[in-house]
Amino acid sequence: MAGMSSKRLQKELVKIQGTLPPGIALVSAENLREWQMDLSIPDNPIYPPTEKYRLRFLFSPSYPIEAPEVVFLASSNPERKIPIHPHIYTNGIICLDLLDTQGWSPVHNVESISISIQSMLAGNTKAERPPGDAEFVRSNRQRPRDINFLYHDPSV
Amino acid sequence: MRRLEARRQMEEANFLSSKARSQNLNPPIDLRMLDYVTAYDDNLMCPICRCPFLDPVVLAECDHCFCRDCIRQTWASTYSPLGPRGDCPSCRTPAKLGPRSATSKILVNITDDLLVRCPKSEDGCKAQVKRGEVQDHVNIYCGYAYMECTADDCELHVLRKDAAEGCLHFGVSCLDCRQSMQKASLETHWRVQCPDRKVSCELCKEAVFNREWDTHSRETCPAISIPCPGKVFGCNSRSKRSQADVHAKSCTFAKLTPMLTAMQQRMDEQEAAQKVMVRKLEVLEGGFQAVQTILSTKQEDPDQVGADESRIPLLTGRPHQRGDSGGMLDAMVVETDVGAFVFPPPSSSSRPSSELVHVRAGASLPPLYSAPMAPGPRPADLPEPFTMDFDMASPFPPPAANGPYISPLHHLLSMHESLRDEMSRMSAALQELDGRQSMQALNENLRTREEISYMAAQVAGLSRQVHWLTSAQLQRQQHGGAGRQAAGAAGPSGSDIAGAGAGVEAAVSTAASALRGAARIVNAGQGMTMRRGLSEEGRTKL
Repeated sequence: MAGMSSKRLQKELVKIQGTLPPGIALVSAENLREWQMDLSIPDNPIYPPTEKYRLRFLFSPSYPIEAPEVVFLASSNPERKIPIHPHIYTNGIICLDLLDTQGWSPVHNVESISISIQSMLAGNTKAERPPGDAEFVRSNRQRPRDINFLYHDPSV
Repeated sequence: MRRLEARRQMEEANFLSSKARSQNLNPPIDLRMLDYVTAYDDNLMCPICRCPFLDPVVLAECDHCFCRDCIRQTWASTYSPLGPRGDCPSCRTPAKLGPRSATSKILVNITDDLLVRCPKSEDGCKAQVKRGEVQDHVNIYCGYAYMECTADDCELHVLRKDAAEGCLHFGVSCLDCRQSMQKASLETHWRVQCPDRKVSCELCKEAVFNREWDTHSRETCPAISIPCPGKVFGCNSRSKRSQADVHAKSCTFAKLTPMLTAMQQRMDEQEAAQKVMVRKLEVLEGGFQAVQTILSTKQEDPDQVGADESRIPLLTGRPHQRGDSGGMLDAMVVETDVGAFVFPPPSSSSRPSSELVHVRAGASLPPLYSAPMAPGPRPADLPEPFTMDFDMASPFPPPAANGPYISPLHHLLSMHESLRDEMSRMSAALQELDGRQSMQALNENLRTREEISYMAAQVAGLSRQVHWLTSAQLQRQQHGGAGRQAAGAAGPSGSDIAGAGAGVEAAVSTAASALRGAARIVNAGQGMTMRRGLSEEGRTKL
C-alpha cells in the first residue's frame, strides 16, 4: 500500500508543480508525508486579498484510501494566521466533512481539497469562530481525524 | 501404462516447482509501480490510484470506472456479506460490484497497450514493452531478471543474461578495490558500488571513479548545463559548463555580477549598520527627552538659569580649559575616538583644533560599537558615553524650550549644571525629611509623657481615697471605743484601744503596699484596663 501512496503522491506532486488554480501555491513538499500549501482568498472582504493562509497536509501510508490530515498552520515568519471562519478553530483544525472518514473519497486529491477549502473561505459571510472554540482549543489533544465532528451546516 | 502415468505426474510436479521457484525469484510485478514511457490520457486514469486502469470495473449504478483493486480497497471498511458495495467515490451513489462489472474489452486493450519501462530498468534493462506484456518480459526475456543457476549442483540464482556462461558462483576479488565476492555479482559491484572503478558519464563520455561520481555530476561534468553566473540579476540563459565561459564573456549580467554582488554586499552591510544607528537614535532620543524634562523643570527657577549661563566656560570662547569639566570632556572625546563624528562647524571653534587633526574622515561606525549601549535612557552620571551620545545626537536641533545652544558641548554642560541642581534639591529634600522625622518623634514622646503624668495623678487620687477610708475607719473605732467607755462600768480597757490601733495600722499598711504595687505597675506603663483592675484589687484588699 505504501507503494501506491507514494506513487500517487509523486504523480500529484508533478501535477501541482506544473499548474495550480489561482490563489493556491505549493510551499514545501520535501517528502511524501508532509506538504504545505498557501491559500489566498479572492473577493471576500473578511479575508484581505494580500493575506495568505498556510495549510499543512499530512499523508498516511494508506493515502488515498484514507484522508490526509489537513490543518491550518500559524507562523510568524512569513506571517501566516488562522483564517477566521465558523468552522475553523483557533488551533487550525478544520471542521469539514470532506476531511473526515465518512466524507472522504479517494477521488479527492491535494488540489481538490485546497480548492474546497478556498471556496469554503471565499463563501464565508460570518467573521466568527465556532461555538466553544476556546474550550475546544484548550482541551483538545486528539488528532483531527479522531474527533467526532457533527456536520450540521450544509450551507458551506 | 502405469509407468507412463507416473512419469507424467513427475514432470508435472517438476514443472510446477520450477514455476514456483521462478515466481519466488521474480515476484509478480506491481503494475501500479511502473514508469510509463509516454504520457497517457487523463481519461484512462483511475481517479483513485491515478494510474491507467488496471483490471477496470464499471459501477452499473453510475457508470464510473475504477481499478478493481482500488475500489475494493476503498470499500474495505464497509464490508457486506453480499459482496463489495459502498458509495461511488466520485459521485457517492450507492453501488456494488457485480459479476458483470468488468468494462468492455476495448478499455482493457487500450491501457494494456501503453508502453512502460521494464521494472528492471534500474538494474540496466533498457527494454520498453507494452504493459500487458511486461510480466512475460520479466518472466521469460528480461536479461536482468533472476533465474536458477544452470549448473546442476548449484542452488543459487543468476541473472538471465549470464546464465549461458555456466555457474558463476565462485569467489573472485575485484581488481580495483580488492574486495572478494562471487563472479555473478561482480558486474553489479562494478556498476554501482566499487569506489575504484571508473564508469563513463553519459553526458560527457568521460570515465569517472564511482567515488567521485557525486562531485562529478554536481560540479565538474562539462556537459551539464549550468545557469549563467548573472542569473540572480536577470540573465536566464543556461549553458553547458564547458561553454559557460564563452557565454560569460558576452553576457552583460555575468560581467557585472562581481560588481553587483559587491554592491549588494555593501548595501546589506550598510543596511545593518543603519539598523544599528536607528536603534541607537531611538535610545538617544529617549535619553534626550528624559534630560529635557529634567532641564525644563529646573529652568523654572530663573536665578539658577542665570548662574548656569555664567558658569559655562565654552561660551566665553576660550579654546582650552584644563581642569574644568569642559576640558575633561574634550579629552574624553578624543580618547574614545569618536572623532569621526565631527561636530557641526560652529562647535569646532570651541574645541581644541590640534586634537581634531587626526580625525578619520571616512571611517564608518563599526556595528560592534553599539554593543555596550543598553536600550532605554542612559544613567545621567556617566560622562563618557554621554559625550558619544551627544556627538551623534548633534544633528537634530536642540529643543526650543531650552534655548539655542552654541554647541552640543554647551548643551551638555548646561545639562551637567542641571544635574548638579537636581542633586542639591535632593539633599534639601533629604534634610527636610530628616527634620520632619525628628519632629514626629518628639510629638510621639510628648504624648507618652502626658499619659504617664495622667496615670500618676490617678494614683495620687487613689492614695487620697485610701487615706480618707483609713481615717474614717480610725474615727469609727475611736468613736466605738468612747461609747463603750461611757457605757461600761469598768475603766477603759487599754488593750481594746491598742487592738483597734493595731487593726488600723494594719489596714493602713496594706493600703500602702497596694499603692506601691499600683505605682509600680503604672510606672511600668500599663494601660487603662490594667489600672482599673488594679483599683478593684485595691478595693477588695481594703
